[in-house]
Amino acid sequence: MSDATTMTTDLAPIVETIEAARAARGRLVIRGGGSVVDRLPLTDAEVLSTAELTGVVDHRPEDLVITVRAGTPVEELSALLATHGQECPIEPLAGHGSTVGGRLATALAGPRQLQAGRVRDWVLRVRLVTADARVVTAGGVTVKDVTGYDLCRLATGSWGTLGVIAEVTLKLRPIPTASAWFTSERPASLVLADLYRPAAVVSTGEGTFVRLEEHPDDVVAQAAAVGLRSADPPTLPTTARAAVDPGRLAELTSWAQAAGIPHAGFAGVGVCLLDGDPDALAAAGARAAELGGSLLVLDAGATTLPMRPPPVDPMTERVRAALDPQQIMFDVRQPR
Amino acid sequence: MDPATATGTRRNVPPTAAESALLSDLHGVLGDDGLKTSVLSRATYRRDASFLNADPLAIALPRTREELAAVLRACRDHGVPYTPRAAGTGLAGGATPTGVAGVRPLVISVARMDRLLELDVANRRAHVEPGLVNARLGRAAAAEGLRFAPDPASQIAATLGGNVATNAGGIHVLTYGVMSQHVLAVELMDTDGEVHLLDGRLPEQAGLDLRGVSVGGEGTLGIVIGAWLRLLPAPPAVGTLLAGFDTLEAAAATVGALVTSDRLPDAVELMDARAIALVEDYAQAGYPTDAAAVLLLEYEGLSAGVSAGVDTAERLATEHGATEVVRAADADQRARIWKGRKAVAGAIAKTAPDFFLQDVVVPRSRLGEMLDAVVAISEREDLVILTVVHAGDGNLPPFVLFDRREEGVLDRVFAAGHDIVTTALALDGTLTGEHGVGIEKRDFLSQIYTADDLAVQQAVRRAIEPSGLANPDKVLPTTVGCLEASMVPEGAWV
Ligand SMILES: Cc1cc2nc3c(=O)[nH]c(=O)nc-3n(C[C@H](O)[C@H](O)[C@H](O)COP(=O)(O)OP(=O)(O)OC[C@H]3O[C@@H](n4cnc5c(N)ncnc54)[C@H](O)[C@@H]3O)c2cc1C
Repeated sequence: MSDATTMTTDLAPIVETIEAARAARGRLVIRGGGSVVDRLPLTDAEVLSTAELTGVVDHRPEDLVITVRAGTPVEELSALLATHGQECPIEPLAGHGSTVGGRLATALAGPRQLQAGRVRDWVLRVRLVTADARVVTAGGVTVKDVTGYDLCRLATGSWGTLGVIAEVTLKLRPIPTASAWFTSERPASLVLADLYRPAAVVSTGEGTFVRLEEHPDDVVAQAAAVGLRSADPPTLPTTARAAVDPGRLAELTSWAQAAGIPHAGFAGVGVCLLDGDPDALAAAGARAAELGGSLLVLDAGATTLPMRPPPVDPMTERVRAALDPQQIMFDVRQPR
Repeated sequence: MDPATATGTRRNVPPTAAESALLSDLHGVLGDDGLKTSVLSRATYRRDASFLNADPLAIALPRTREELAAVLRACRDHGVPYTPRAAGTGLAGGATPTGVAGVRPLVISVARMDRLLELDVANRRAHVEPGLVNARLGRAAAAEGLRFAPDPASQIAATLGGNVATNAGGIHVLTYGVMSQHVLAVELMDTDGEVHLLDGRLPEQAGLDLRGVSVGGEGTLGIVIGAWLRLLPAPPAVGTLLAGFDTLEAAAATVGALVTSDRLPDAVELMDARAIALVEDYAQAGYPTDAAAVLLLEYEGLSAGVSAGVDTAERLATEHGATEVVRAADADQRARIWKGRKAVAGAIAKTAPDFFLQDVVVPRSRLGEMLDAVVAISEREDLVILTVVHAGDGNLPPFVLFDRREEGVLDRVFAAGHDIVTTALALDGTLTGEHGVGIEKRDFLSQIYTADDLAVQQAVRRAIEPSGLANPDKVLPTTVGCLEASMVPEGAWV
């Protein structure tokens, strides 16, 4: 049972683009929906778009799996799944247009990661066009699979440095029967400790926001037990994101609060979204680094980015070199 | 692998010059207590819980990271391969010390590195050494109101390092996921004795997820010397249900309905009539002995959701023709229901001297077909095959029972195993859901993956472990046949 017409996958144009870049010793930057790439300064690398690579290849609601092409917008996927009462909780990023491939490649966290787990935990199979122009598959369509090395997780969060994620099989789950946002004046860490597996706890300048997703009676009971009030979802800053050890997030959010920087820290996850001018962001980057973390600025206008990427293990360099010997894949996060 | 072509034991082969040099270096590091070379010790480490076996050069049992690093550097300097090992409960021959090109490997056991280094209750995580037994972490976490979700049936013996190295599963995979989902970071030691912290504590933006690759690396990427594991709060409510059915199809159909209902059960186990009879005899769990199959279901979480889940399960089971449905009224009754499932291995050990286990996975909607096929294979090969299924995941380890003393039985066992695998692959399934590839399933990999797929896997392996000495002939098919393992259980036909 398939929800959409099964089209023949044609990866030839991607393979050709990669081969041409290899021949010309050029560099490629992969663009999905542009929700991240377009917000980073332009480079001289050629853009390889997955925009043509859209649509559902196979949806098996009874097996809780779906296979889609990488250029499929996350919102389109969510809408389709919702008609079956299902979801794949890889949240689209703030703003519109992120694609499934882009979500996987960046693996940036949303607030629901607290309960739903990381993007990588929802990926069952990946079809990848490697930087040396090989079309390879890793993983399978079953929910459990330890056949060979887990290259699905390797591709997830690889930021396009290993090749083009062309097709993805995702694990699904039923949409929670009830869900709602609440707010509290208490610090996020205390709220988190008092609740049983909340969907999200977000710490902002306006207080702590909580999302509960479960049976409607449990939502009401938990909210009452912890003294939560109904609320609209929090507004999330979009300019930059810091990543720190979740155990040290409170130090970052209280610093941002004191400095008057708009922020939203995902408690238990360790990501803090931030808005601010270059000076504020530079200070936030320095603070994140002091806490052992990193900062990613998503602002095409910023000419000198106060990026603070985490150090890279030599093993990572070796794996990249193995799959991209000519280094044609450009890591858009590189400071330049 | 044809038993007839397997090489015999190499018990009496004297060590080569390189081997002797290595042993003398190791002795300097580990002393008598940490280095075992006797025939008896080597016999103990010939195999894991599969029946693939081979003769190791010796067994190193380091207690510290420093000792381990020295052991690895000695292997590097003398060019001797090594096979990491923990509790040896693996079922794919991953810890079986097969060598390359006639060189016997050193078994490196991490069993003595077994401390719980830190239980960070506030941040719900634990830092463990590889030899720590899974159930011990479970107990330590429970004392703090926390739980470690991965619960392989072998958890009282298997180690967390082994669970990381095999990406182990368990009974609660359907909603909690496999081991990888609970591993925050891995400390991997390479053949130079260097430690790599794979994935630190940052939730995003880090380098490649080499943590994810090292989980399930089966000892071929280096030695897991530590891991940060995720703990979860213990669920406030748990609901357990036992349902008996007249036919396997009805039980399988119920599983399908449950998985598409509005709340996923946290555990769905299926046992067939043979498995029921065996465990009832052994453990008296109270399963209906006239049923063709039973389902064991569990829901965890907050109370309203748990009771709604159990209600739904009861209704769906009844609609699909369940002949008996029992809801556990209290913790004792719940423990009794699970006792039967947990007694499978013990009950088998009492019944048949040997068993051979497969670990195939099929899409859940094909489960009924797979179960039918197993029945047919069992009849054709005239073997007793018990079916105990992680039904929610479509992962079935059919236990093929036999007695190695029966002449010709191994041929039938292998034929059955082969047919089970090819049937699963034909149903869009895969080779192994939780036990790993080891050597047992290695040569099947090319049926699933293309040459390019495997070349990329090999490239990643070499990039992570360039020395080529870590568990060399495991996981990926080798082009040259250099298998030194014997598929023949020791003691057969003597
Ligand atoms: C009765 C029974 C029931 C079982 N039930 C389950 C189940 O429900 N789910 C499941 O997933 N498995 C199950 N297993 C299989 C087995 O228990 C798991 O594979 C377990 O994770 C192995 O752990 P171990 O400590 O015994 O590792 P070992 O058997 O010693 O080693 C397993 C593999 O990991 C490698 N290895 C071990 N330690 C390290 C290390 N520190 N660094 C690098 N590599 C290492 C070895 O080289 C080998 O390849 C069962 C086994 C038995 C006998």
